[in-house]
Amino acid sequence: MNRFAFSTFLTSNTDLDQELIDGLVGQCTRREVTRGAYLLREGETCEHSFFVEKGLLKQFAIDHQGKEHILQFAPENWIVSDRASAYFHQPSEYYIQALEDTQVMLVDEAFILQLARNNASFLEFNHRLLHNHIRHLQQRILQLQSATASERYQHFVKIYPDLLLRIPQVLIASYLGITPESLSRVRRDLAEQNRTILS
Amino acid sequence: MTTRSVEAIIRPGAPHYVGDGFRVHNFIPGNQGANMQRMNPFIMLDYNSKYHFTGTEKPRGVGVHPHRGFETVTIAYQGKVAHHDSGGGGGVIAQGDVQWMTAASGVLHKEYHEEAWAREGGIFQMVQLWVNLPAKDKMSPPKYQAIKNETIPQVDLDTAGSTVKVIAGNYQGTQGAASTFTPVHLFNARLKSGARADFSFPAAYHTALLVIEGAITVNGKHEAPTDHFVLMGNDGEAFSIEASEDALVLVMSGEPIHEPIAAHGPFVMNTRQELIEAFDDFNQGKFGYLED
Repeated sequence: MNRFAFSTFLTSNTDLDQELIDGLVGQCTRREVTRGAYLLREGETCEHSFFVEKGLLKQFAIDHQGKEHILQFAPENWIVSDRASAYFHQPSEYYIQALEDTQVMLVDEAFILQLARNNASFLEFNHRLLHNHIRHLQQRILQLQSATASERYQHFVKIYPDLLLRIPQVLIASYLGITPESLSRVRRDLAEQNRTILS
Repeated sequence: MTTRSVEAIIRPGAPHYVGDGFRVHNFIPGNQGANMQRMNPFIMLDYNSKYHFTGTEKPRGVGVHPHRGFETVTIAYQGKVAHHDSGGGGGVIAQGDVQWMTAASGVLHKEYHEEAWAREGGIFQMVQLWVNLPAKDKMSPPKYQAIKNETIPQVDLDTAGSTVKVIAGNYQGTQGAASTFTPVHLFNARLKSGARADFSFPAAYHTALLVIEGAITVNGKHEAPTDHFVLMGNDGEAFSIEASEDALVLVMSGEPIHEPIAAHGPFVMNTRQELIEAFDDFNQGKFGYLED
């Protein structure tokens, strides 16, 4: 994997000039964490956005019964953060944990705010990221209210095409808000429908 | 005939687990000297060197996963592996057996220590080699060749007790057990201490040795101990191995497939677009269904 994935991401997603990008990346910290390590725990204040250069993170909450609910997966080129905690300086309700050995760029929240104040182009970029995130969350809410297990699965594989190969199905079921048995049934029914040339 | 020289002798790196049942040293493509392009048609080699697994009621292994675009060749040296696939196939391979699975257009399969063996536990030693397929065969129907040890043709060498078992290809006129899509030679050479075996393959063929047991000397001067991988050059055809103690050596040599390689995890195709299609087909259940 490209050691400078974050630079590449900024170059292809913003109109920032290279000097500014180099400066921004220079202000970030690259950290390598092993599978199972936590980048954020419930009760802590989130101070960073985490850009995944290599590996995979999950953001989740644990309910009163001790059950885990996955809010988001962040594979390569995804950003994950508890935005509420970072922006409003409030204790986080979430955990962010590595599902694989992971290389992340830690983007300091204070630095993002400062850069947004001083640079219109970066402000625009940050706005777009934020609205993209809101769009994603709105879709998630509606799906959890109204979509069938099969529809949820189809949407999942569109946004995360390779995750089925990387994580146990029980985690995907948690993300989709369905039981692992239900996910298994969806996959079996699909295989029945799509039995093709291959076999 | 010119001599094929030794390019590198590579010691086994730190092992990692594939699932919880295969503790492997990766030689291809993990080593800088032995990447996919350099070793093609051999695109992956994982070696579970001798390792003692304790007995367990729940067999260790690796759960359901897909493959497309190549063949997986599993060679059992010690221990037993059971496998099942989405086409309804399955079986057990034990010492000396070879499972040659042509994933081609795609299968789902799972591989576990065989139940009774897992309950007892014991020494486990195994090789998994991936052999690439040419573009024209990547989407052909999947198939299995279950090759029992006793059906693998054998060439007896001059020294009593020394043999070359021909899994695939041809050794001194003896044709191997497995059929292949492109020219591939794959042998198990069992040599008594002091015995010598000579090999010759076209210079362009990518060629390597894996020392499964004992120790050998290659071309009379390069010593390779147990569990080491010997990468041969492409500057000539012929080379010799001599056992400095009783030895078992996996010999592989194959004609390179001169096509682009696009690989991601369990899919090895020619283009990025084909990889995306592979993920899509897998997500849409087109590889079938297999219970975990």
